[in-house]
Amino acid sequence: MAQRLDVLLLDDEPIVGKRLKPALSKLDCEVEVFDNPRLALQRLAEKDFDIVVTDIRMDEIDGIQVLEETLKKSPRTKVIMITGYAMMSVAREAMGKGAFDFISKPFSPDDLRKVIVKAAESLGHPKDSEAAGVSGSQ
Amino acid sequence: MAVIIVSSDSLSTAAHIAEQTARGLNYRCVGREILGGLGKRYGASEEKLHKTLDELPSFFGVRARAHAQCMAYIEEAVLARLSEDGAVCHGLAAHLYVRGVSHALKARVLADPSEIIRETMKQKGVSPEKAAKIAKHEEALRSRWSIEIYRSDETASSLYDLVINLSRVAPEEAVRMIVESSSHPRFRPTTYSVKCINDMALASRVRVVLLALFPDVVVEADGVAVVIETAAVPREKEKRIEAIEKLARSVPGVGHVEVRVANDMVRQAAESFR
Repeated sequence: MAQRLDVLLLDDEPIVGKRLKPALSKLDCEVEVFDNPRLALQRLAEKDFDIVVTDIRMDEIDGIQVLEETLKKSPRTKVIMITGYAMMSVAREAMGKGAFDFISKPFSPDDLRKVIVKAAESLGHPKDSEAAGVSGSQ
Repeated sequence: MAVIIVSSDSLSTAAHIAEQTARGLNYRCVGREILGGLGKRYGASEEKLHKTLDELPSFFGVRARAHAQCMAYIEEAVLARLSEDGAVCHGLAAHLYVRGVSHALKARVLADPSEIIRETMKQKGVSPEKAAKIAKHEEALRSRWSIEIYRSDETASSLYDLVINLSRVAPEEAVRMIVESSSHPRFRPTTYSVKCINDMALASRVRVVLLALFPDVVVEADGVAVVIETAAVPREKEKRIEAIEKLARSVPGVGHVEVRVANDMVRQAAESFR
């Protein structure tokens, strides 16, 4: 059986976490959802997650800071950036700082699952994407 | 894998650098050789496609409507190739219409001016002074072409991620710089950037299908949804929407079509005077 992945999901819109958590649970991920970046950073200081999914544009602390803090503490963690304000410059900044992937909103839970499957593979934990209902990659 | 677009003030320089870069990275090289097949596919002569890339629309050359059509064919062919993994593109003006794609590295390679003059002298059999004048004129023409067709000056360094001057850097060093830059994480494809280029490719496929009948259309794609903007006089609005929807839906990859029709004020005014 594939190993369970610890995923932290951060978006200041609570509906996003509510909607994505069940989608990721299908991939056998243990998901912790946060809508407050400060609390998310506190949790990241306590625990190393396999995957962090974070919104970029948030009040007080933005996703780029979350990315930097995460990789500083746990370089193996795959950080996936999500944003409703996608732009080439932001994508390049995030990727240059070590993000694993960058997704623009709106996206379907299936889109995120595809990226999680790729991240799991690169962590050496291949996921059975068909069993999780992920259709063929792009 | 990144997509690399090489632009230069000399076509042969762009081709040489692009080919060497593609070889170094084991990528495909996409250049003007695609125009032959493209001409056959769309029934446009290869010469006309070359002229479209080199000259502005004119009464005695390629007329404006044909020019726009040929550019649409070229864009469609280039975007289809660039939406696949690992390609280096040159000579097809891709630096002007591939926009906002974070994994597309745009490099401008400035040829050594003395090399351009030597090449012009050889090609046209003229004196060094005349060759220098021709080279200057051609550079100004390229700048005008890019501004008139894409509202972007291709000689402006701000358009590129990397500008390399071959008067100061050897060609093989320039190739190494491009190869190394392309491996930087900021040029790694992301789900977003792949979607951007796929959206552009889909929009260009739809545009090619529509252009013959509706030359004014503006097409944008988002996933499988396509938004088409056009103008018509009110009595033709419904008919036009129906025709555009039907054509757009015939394009593979299109799932949803939205047609936005603005009032064609010019035609409406012209008709009211009849």
